[in-house]
Amino acid sequence: MRPYELILPGITLLPVVGVIVLLLWKNATKRQAAIVGIISESFALVIPIVLLTTLRRDGAVFFSIPWISNLNISFSLSLSWLSITFLITEVVVTLAAMIYSLGEKTGEKNSNYYYALLLLFSLGMSGTTLSDDVFLFYIFWELMLLASVLLIVGWGTGEKRYKASLKYFIITHLGSLMVLVCLIMLYVNFGTASLTELILQAGTLPANMQVFMTIFFIIGFSVKMAIFPMHIWLPDAHTVAPMPVTIILAAAMLSMGAFGVLRFPYSLFSIETMQPFAVWLMIAGLASEVYGALMALAEREIKRIIAYSSVSQMGYILFGLGTLTLRGMQGAIMHVVYHAIVKGLLFMVVGIILEVTRRRNIDEVGGLGNRLPILTVCAAIGVLGISGMPPLGIFNSEWLIFSGGFDSGVSIPLTVMTLIGSLLTLVYALRFFGMIFFGKKNPESLPEKSPRALLVPTIAVTVFLVIEGLLPGALLAWATNGLAELFGGLFL
Amino acid sequence: MSGSFEIVLPIFILIVGAFVVYLLGRLLQLSNRLLAILTIFILVVTLGVLLLQYLNLPEIIQQPEVFFGLEEPGGILYRSSAVGVFILLIGVVIGILITLYSGEYLSRDPRYLVYYPLVLLTFSGLLGMFTSYNLFNLFLLTELTTITASALVAFRFKQQASIRAGFKYLIMSSLGTMTMLLGIYFVYRSTGSMQLVTPLEAPDEFARIGAACFLLGFSLKAGVVPLHTWVPDVYGNAPAAISGLLAGIMSKSMLFIMPVVCLRLGISQAELGAYLMVFACFNMLLGSVRMLGQESLKHFLSYSSIAQTGYLMFALGMGFYYGVDQVYGVGLFLFMVIAVMKCLAFLAAGIYRHYAGTQNIERLRGVSKHMPVIAHILSIAMAGLAGIPLLAGFTGKWLVFSAALLTADVFAVICLIVFMVSSVISLGGYLPMIIKQYQPPTEPGRLFPGCTTPVKVSKWMLYPAEFLAVMTVVIGIYPSPWVNLVSQVMQWMMVTL
Repeated sequence: MRPYELILPGITLLPVVGVIVLLLWKNATKRQAAIVGIISESFALVIPIVLLTTLRRDGAVFFSIPWISNLNISFSLSLSWLSITFLITEVVVTLAAMIYSLGEKTGEKNSNYYYALLLLFSLGMSGTTLSDDVFLFYIFWELMLLASVLLIVGWGTGEKRYKASLKYFIITHLGSLMVLVCLIMLYVNFGTASLTELILQAGTLPANMQVFMTIFFIIGFSVKMAIFPMHIWLPDAHTVAPMPVTIILAAAMLSMGAFGVLRFPYSLFSIETMQPFAVWLMIAGLASEVYGALMALAEREIKRIIAYSSVSQMGYILFGLGTLTLRGMQGAIMHVVYHAIVKGLLFMVVGIILEVTRRRNIDEVGGLGNRLPILTVCAAIGVLGISGMPPLGIFNSEWLIFSGGFDSGVSIPLTVMTLIGSLLTLVYALRFFGMIFFGKKNPESLPEKSPRALLVPTIAVTVFLVIEGLLPGALLAWATNGLAELFGGLFL
Repeated sequence: MSGSFEIVLPIFILIVGAFVVYLLGRLLQLSNRLLAILTIFILVVTLGVLLLQYLNLPEIIQQPEVFFGLEEPGGILYRSSAVGVFILLIGVVIGILITLYSGEYLSRDPRYLVYYPLVLLTFSGLLGMFTSYNLFNLFLLTELTTITASALVAFRFKQQASIRAGFKYLIMSSLGTMTMLLGIYFVYRSTGSMQLVTPLEAPDEFARIGAACFLLGFSLKAGVVPLHTWVPDVYGNAPAAISGLLAGIMSKSMLFIMPVVCLRLGISQAELGAYLMVFACFNMLLGSVRMLGQESLKHFLSYSSIAQTGYLMFALGMGFYYGVDQVYGVGLFLFMVIAVMKCLAFLAAGIYRHYAGTQNIERLRGVSKHMPVIAHILSIAMAGLAGIPLLAGFTGKWLVFSAALLTADVFAVICLIVFMVSSVISLGGYLPMIIKQYQPPTEPGRLFPGCTTPVKVSKWMLYPAEFLAVMTVVIGIYPSPWVNLVSQVMQWMMVTL
């Protein structure tokens, strides 16, 4: 094993060290716990960046040690172009949420457990993107769910959180079970849990089995993506979760479903196997896009508006994946990153609004524009971002997704409908912005100023969103490299 | 009597130990804790002997003539059984833990003097059932297990529910043993013999009816639906340690004695496998659905135990129906992890009962404030039983899934779907139970009135529970040695089956 390969497991193990420190440090203040959490999580960001040179040279970095040797299961990780994009996105989102947490009240009690669980939540996502063993993949996949449920139960708001977290757990676990069936089918058929080996051999499976597994994988991962009609867990979970957890859920965790689609059916099987599903994926994406947008338009509760917007945005990603074209999928991967930034920003804005107004409904707040000018600018950029306005990032990804839709030749009308449907995003985004910042003033909910500790990370994310949108080249290159791993190197 | 005495040495130690414990306790007026220590000593010696037997198993299975007893017609024969040794190894370890636990659990009970001898006799009966190769002797040992276990279930005889549960267990188990007795009649009528050493070469209808009687009897004792009606009352009202022993070891071990007897008396592997798989579906569904509405924690665990019996039957059934040895090994692994987790759950429930004085799930809401460690421990047990990754139950779930998909057969896949449905329904029970422990109480101050600091739990009760919780995590994180262990036992078992 080469020296640089030895640092790869640090992405998963160093946060574990942080978790252990936090669990042992029972008297840690929130600030102390946050420092431990942020330092531990930073390793998960630094290590992939350090490994970038190697990644450019070798195409992938592997690490593997035997684990359950008699079952042919190992602790195998692989950093590839596909995984690094998702990995860095989720780590950055987690770091932003951890910093944002410092400015609000969440986690003031049992801070050590709170930050330990945030680390575990992120570890679940990092492990999911890095696993090169299907057994390990599932463990990280479920860790992500378990940690997020515990965060909602422990630090969420209201009595409703117990029911909401139960609903979230059971529905997403159902999806996970469908994924598990497929993973074990692969394992049983080839006698190995190594994903690298499975990718090489999966094409030899009988056609009907490939079709069955594709259906199960797609439905299973769509539950995590909260694609309509499998989204029912999302609005409640997002509403009751503490804001930093909502940020991670919406900006990072949902896209793990998209990663699953890319990592499994798209990597294991040929494009011919996927072709019959293309149109269905596009229809599901369109339905989710329109439904999410309509619900966001109909909602009164501020957090739920942004939550439904996630359902809509995941629809774009699924649509892009469904096109099965280079551009469509480039757009889908870029949309994951841009959506993470925009959604993170919008939830940060919502967090500040809820904090300063103590109101949850959109018609109870209004006229914040004059009182909170900086927040208004941040919100305006976020709203324009989610609506796909140039030169902000989502414009780039949507451009590619729609181009992919037209390229695919599967269904031009579907692409046109999706394009028209995107107008709904603009409508709910403008309603959200207009009512909160320029709507009728509610004298009881007019704040003096935004809390600085919350505003600083919000401004930072806003700046990042603008820069990222102006410089899409690097992200496009990463997405293109990642796509080279799919369909046996079809897009190489 | 002749042959290798080592085969029956553990049974001998347990029976003699039971009398020694009783007599010493009676004559010297030993305290509950001293008796518990004495019982643990006897169980540790038994464990040592069983370990030696386990290490010698490779040699013993090569020599089928190694036995103890009378070889002449009508004689009683005892032989080493790989599965029996394995199950008793787990059983005795659990026995040591529940005895340690009882050192505090019975501190308020003046009748502890009979408790420990009964535990030892129950184990001796169970071990005897695995080693006996004579039908009538098997019947007697089954009765010994039944009677001692009934007495343990009704141990708190001043509580009406305990007496009712004890009677119910006695009556239902006796019904099972009576059915076995009827089976002996049919087998004897067919073959003129009651030996079980070699499988019947050409079993006639009578022998097969006899085998079916045994199948029914063992099913009743294992709690196979629809013969499960005694399970909730018995596990729900017995002392927690005994519920753990019954649910984790005793009832489920019947599923491993069942094939030894039935396959030798003319039931084919495919028939036994199909029976187990079909009824496993009923167990899985009924257990997981009925656990949802329970108010009492122990009744909740009892119904979940019915579902777990179903999981075990499913794994064993696949092993027999498809003739895949490895799948039978999955059953052994599942038995081991269920024993650990189920016993852990009952021990934690017993700690709540002991200190908080209630089993009511709603009243236990917010109990984590007073007993945080126990809340964590029960959560580990529940999460393990729900098959959450990195806990022992997940490896079991993975192996069952693998086994079912390995068969690539519609029958197994249908059962697997039932298994999945059942595990999702079960989640709807386990998760709220975990969450309720951490929720604010509905009636603040009702649990532990006036107490603001966490309750100090006796180490006698805490250590066994902590040990089992650690095992649940260790087996989950590093299952390799345990999988190796069951693979080895499974290979030895297949030679002797």
